[in-house]
Amino acid sequence: MKRVVSLLFIAALLALLLYVVANMPPMGDPENPTNSSEVIKRYLNEAEEETHCENVITGIILNYRGYDTMGEVTVIFCALAAVLAVLGREKRGKIYAYADRSRVPSSAIVRTMVAFLVPFIILFSIYTILHGEISPGGGFQGGAIVGGSMIIFTTIFGLYESSQRIPQKLRAPLEGSAVITFFIVGILGMAGGGNFLTYAWPNIATNLQPSVVTWLTILVEIGIGLGGAMVLISILFSMIREEEEIAVAP
Amino acid sequence: MGTALNLTFLVLLVATALLAVFARDLLAAVIIFSVYSLIMALMWQRLQAPDLALTEAAVGAGVTAVLFVVTIFKTRRREEEED
Repeated sequence: MKRVVSLLFIAALLALLLYVVANMPPMGDPENPTNSSEVIKRYLNEAEEETHCENVITGIILNYRGYDTMGEVTVIFCALAAVLAVLGREKRGKIYAYADRSRVPSSAIVRTMVAFLVPFIILFSIYTILHGEISPGGGFQGGAIVGGSMIIFTTIFGLYESSQRIPQKLRAPLEGSAVITFFIVGILGMAGGGNFLTYAWPNIATNLQPSVVTWLTILVEIGIGLGGAMVLISILFSMIREEEEIAVAP
Repeated sequence: MGTALNLTFLVLLVATALLAVFARDLLAAVIIFSVYSLIMALMWQRLQAPDLALTEAAVGAGVTAVLFVVTIFKTRRREEEED
């Protein structure tokens, strides 16, 4: 009976979803109903000039929807806080054993390739963060790539090596950098005569405004990238470590 | 050409989703799930959303997969048999 009910439910859901997909407007059609909305017209026509971002998506996320992104960044920070509340942060100055249960040690090829590739991955992520307002990418993507590269490094070389490269006293203050940068930029906007999170300060000369907007956007991107990377690395470290301490950090 | 590529991706998406759900070995399920994320990233790129494709490739295929693997190593690898 339960099976029949759940199958019926899934069939009904499938029919509904297929009906919705069949009625979706075709991609790239200028007659699509979304284009008639005021907000989207404004985004498509004015975003490049108003936010000084050639990549309009970054302009929308960081400038028009700055409040929204600030909330998202806070959510990421809260996720880290929740993980650390459950798993606990490692004690300062101690290095822990880690959960390597694989029977086969990683081969020389894997170790060499990872050691060779990680610097290039980090270089690419720096490009992604700093180039975010021109090409696809930005703080979130770049931070995730840094975090991913350090996660690969940790799984191959172990917690000892990677926590020597990113010690806790460097990591812990940077975890909140995304939220802090957003607040600083927001308050700078108020000091410049606008509202909270105004990038184009009204109090300064009009010809200086474009460069101020660009630099503030890059500042926020760097903050988000650093914060995101450190949050991911901290989550991994707190998940992967075992209880016993094996060494004292230098 | 484009339609054939889209169709291939969509069929692979459904196949990997089903395989990830039905795999008994949890490690295999995680690896299949990260393949799903990779195909999804290619799909975002085909839908002209490169920002989303970057995020999906880094977070979906990279970070979450490793976090799942760590969780599996800290617990048990196989599903409990149903009695």
